[in-house]
Amino acid sequence: MARKLTINDLKTDVWVDWCPGCGNFGILSAMYQAIAELELEPEKTVVVSGIGCSGKIAHFINVTGVHTLHGRSLPYAEGIKLANPDLTVLVNVGDGDLLGIGAAHFVALGRRNVDLVVIMHDNTVYALTKGQASPTLGRNLQPKALPKPNIQDAVNPIGLAIAAGYTFIARGYAARVQHLKELIKKAVQHKGAAFIDVLQPCVTYDNIHTYDYYNKRVYDINEEGWDPVVKSPEEFPEKASQALIKSYESDGRIPIGIFLINPHVPTFEERYSQRIPSYLKVPPAREPIEVGGKPVITTEKFKEIFKKYVIEYR
Amino acid sequence: MNELRYILGGPQGGGLETTSEVLSWAFAYSGYGVISDREYFSNIKGRHSYVHATVSAVELPRHLTYPVDIVAAMDAETVFTHFGDLREGGYLIYNSDDDNTNFTSIPSMEKELKERLASEFKALGLDGTVKSVVKYLQSSKKVRVVGLSFKELLMEIQKREGIVPSQASRYISTILVGAVAAITDISNEGLDYSLRRRFTREDLYRHNRTMANIVISIVKSQFGSELKLEQPRIKVGSVLVASGNDVIAMAKIVAGVRFQAYYPITPAADESFTLEEYETLGGDGAIIVFQTEDELAAINAAIGAALTGVRSSVATSGPGFDLMVEGLGWAGQNEVPVVVTYYQRGGPSTGQPTRGGQSDLLSSVFASHGEYPRIVLASGDHEEAFYDTIDAFNYAETYQVPVIHLVDKFLANTIATIPMPNLDNIKITRGVLAPKGLKEYKRFDLSSIISPRAFLGDYVMWYSGDEHDEKGHIDEDPVIRIRMFDKRMRKLELIEKEIPEERRYSYFGPEKPDILLVGWGFVKGVALKAIEELGNEGVKVGYYHIRMFIPFPKESITKLAREVGADNLIAVEHNYQAQASKLVAMNTGIVVSKSIVKYTGRPMYVHELVNSIKNIMKGGVREVMSYGA
Repeated sequence: MARKLTINDLKTDVWVDWCPGCGNFGILSAMYQAIAELELEPEKTVVVSGIGCSGKIAHFINVTGVHTLHGRSLPYAEGIKLANPDLTVLVNVGDGDLLGIGAAHFVALGRRNVDLVVIMHDNTVYALTKGQASPTLGRNLQPKALPKPNIQDAVNPIGLAIAAGYTFIARGYAARVQHLKELIKKAVQHKGAAFIDVLQPCVTYDNIHTYDYYNKRVYDINEEGWDPVVKSPEEFPEKASQALIKSYESDGRIPIGIFLINPHVPTFEERYSQRIPSYLKVPPAREPIEVGGKPVITTEKFKEIFKKYVIEYR
Repeated sequence: MNELRYILGGPQGGGLETTSEVLSWAFAYSGYGVISDREYFSNIKGRHSYVHATVSAVELPRHLTYPVDIVAAMDAETVFTHFGDLREGGYLIYNSDDDNTNFTSIPSMEKELKERLASEFKALGLDGTVKSVVKYLQSSKKVRVVGLSFKELLMEIQKREGIVPSQASRYISTILVGAVAAITDISNEGLDYSLRRRFTREDLYRHNRTMANIVISIVKSQFGSELKLEQPRIKVGSVLVASGNDVIAMAKIVAGVRFQAYYPITPAADESFTLEEYETLGGDGAIIVFQTEDELAAINAAIGAALTGVRSSVATSGPGFDLMVEGLGWAGQNEVPVVVTYYQRGGPSTGQPTRGGQSDLLSSVFASHGEYPRIVLASGDHEEAFYDTIDAFNYAETYQVPVIHLVDKFLANTIATIPMPNLDNIKITRGVLAPKGLKEYKRFDLSSIISPRAFLGDYVMWYSGDEHDEKGHIDEDPVIRIRMFDKRMRKLELIEKEIPEERRYSYFGPEKPDILLVGWGFVKGVALKAIEELGNEGVKVGYYHIRMFIPFPKESITKLAREVGADNLIAVEHNYQAQASKLVAMNTGIVVSKSIVKYTGRPMYVHELVNSIKNIMKGGVREVMSYGA
């Protein structure tokens, strides 16, 4: 039963130990508000997180939290969702976690279109290990912890998501909580793999991408007229290409908003369900496997299922 | 005769598996026991591959040995590679069109084998052609030679069945079937059943049936059926004829596994294919078989799935397991029941990807940073593998620990007849589950060692790879650290107490043996046959078979070692270091200083094991076996 939750209901008694002013607070606020407004049931909602500052978010929200390994939050989330598609699964993960050590999983999720929401805390640094360059930090930049300027190029997360096949792709900004909340809500309501790149100032280690830096540059592409929705499967290549161009915009401004929504791709769950009729009716997690301590597969059923292996000796 | 052994050889991708399958099923249908091992290179087409089988009228065999009664060769390379495997008076079936082929002209043959053959042929005065080897076998080994012109046979089948020439080579596999069937006089009913089973398309069945008939009539008219087995006397009712991969897949379905994640790796991947084939459980169920992008994803997806309450597993081999180790630690830290079916192959690194081994025992027992409880069990044959698979999930859920189930390539790729499993005695135990309707749920409740498990979706709960409090939130307090750590590690005491000693090992052999072999895994079959043969010679040898490494069967091995004398223990293993003997020492202080090992990637054979045991009895301390191409 859905019950009206307040934001206070969604807080846990765990002290939020991020640095004062951390961009993560904005993301956490947007999460609380989105979950409350969507009236998600706490026990049927799972926040999966990776490692680092962002990983702790699973402990700060009073829904089920699975705080996993560095790089592996997506496989955990996919395992959870595929075994029990009735759960709503959100992943909060850092940029190093998702696009560095876990990049293979990021690409693979796009190919599958599992019905998950991936929220990337994009602060350009590995903060909890004291500020090393992350995969979203541009070349020649030198946030204050770096002994030398960065010599690796930044990956384009939106572009990578488009190429990988995500069917909902957006960018938010941690200081625009209302806008981010709306993105999260839409991503949850979207059927398929949703990716939100969230610009998140790290007040301790990134003296370049500050609130001031972003405040001057971000603008909402949807407000400026960009329609992200793919109208037909045929339109996809053109729409995706335009979205990709948007993601590379380099006129000094940073686009936020929804880049792409493609409703024409079946989810991974639907693909399984086409082959396995009972899958979405009785999820594997709820399938009975024993009756009175005995396997549901009886000797008779076993012989029937595996008849091609059985020989009756005479 | 009551036992028949044969080698079938040919190029990888040349239809050898079909030959082997058809013969295995034909013998099994006629009531014989069969074990059929496939040896192959890491290659898709062209390299030498062979099948080595034992067919028995008196038992469901688990052993392989040399020499063999028949070598059936699709190509010249097989003749060169296996002529030495034939017993005196055995049968060579080969393609007489190859008569003039010289071994030096075969590109797929490895240079070391060519060098060995060159010196052997020089010593025997052979010119290195197939014909010279055939003549040598006839004159010096009294081998009966069935030379068939494959070209003529293929022309014949084209003519009779209207097959286009480009398709004709597909029928070579049935030439071998026909020849072996003729010499051994397989019942026509059995052969027909098997051909129909293999060739479900009517036209293909007919073509192959015709080919078999042609060959049978030629061979029978010239050679009769001298290798006819006596009437089978195996009284087991129905049997399964299946590979180790298939047996474990079937057991997983019975065990209630409904989620398996995997990344393709030899020799584990076939298990996942079999599960996928049965993903609807015969129509009204669902198993999700999830092919991931790598093994990191496989183990962690399987763990994620397990949190929802589904019985969940991965199937992998050494390189994949190495990648899974970090995830396994998360499962240990978070008390997640997940099962790793671990098919060992030759390592390290890529090693021998299509060959067997038992060199990952220490890794499976110790692999981890930090400490957490786990259970490690190992299966010795197909039948054990079936029941062990089910136990693995029961243990995993009862103790909320990761379980590693060790098997190997030998088991994976060997087709064997096993008694039809009796499912009536199988129990599914899901461990302590939290009741519904609690006001507050604490996943890591400290009031008992095993905290009641609830599934994601039942309650709000937290998991963390960090050390955590009862609710699952990060907690670095030193006192809670000790309490949580103790709670996890004390499962080992519980496991030690609750899993009976007799579950952890099996003993085979005389009541008071003079020599005790200590082995595990696929060593079982060959060891049992070796002690039987030695017993017939009056040598009292027993075989101590380790079935669980955690918990370890300390008491029984200690008792037996005292009775037999530690000096009379011999470790028998498919690895360099005799790894299980290290664990015997670690768990009991007993040092097993003698060993018989094999690490060529090929199975152990009875004849070489018997020989090695005798060498040890004469004062040897270490025997390294190496038979087999």
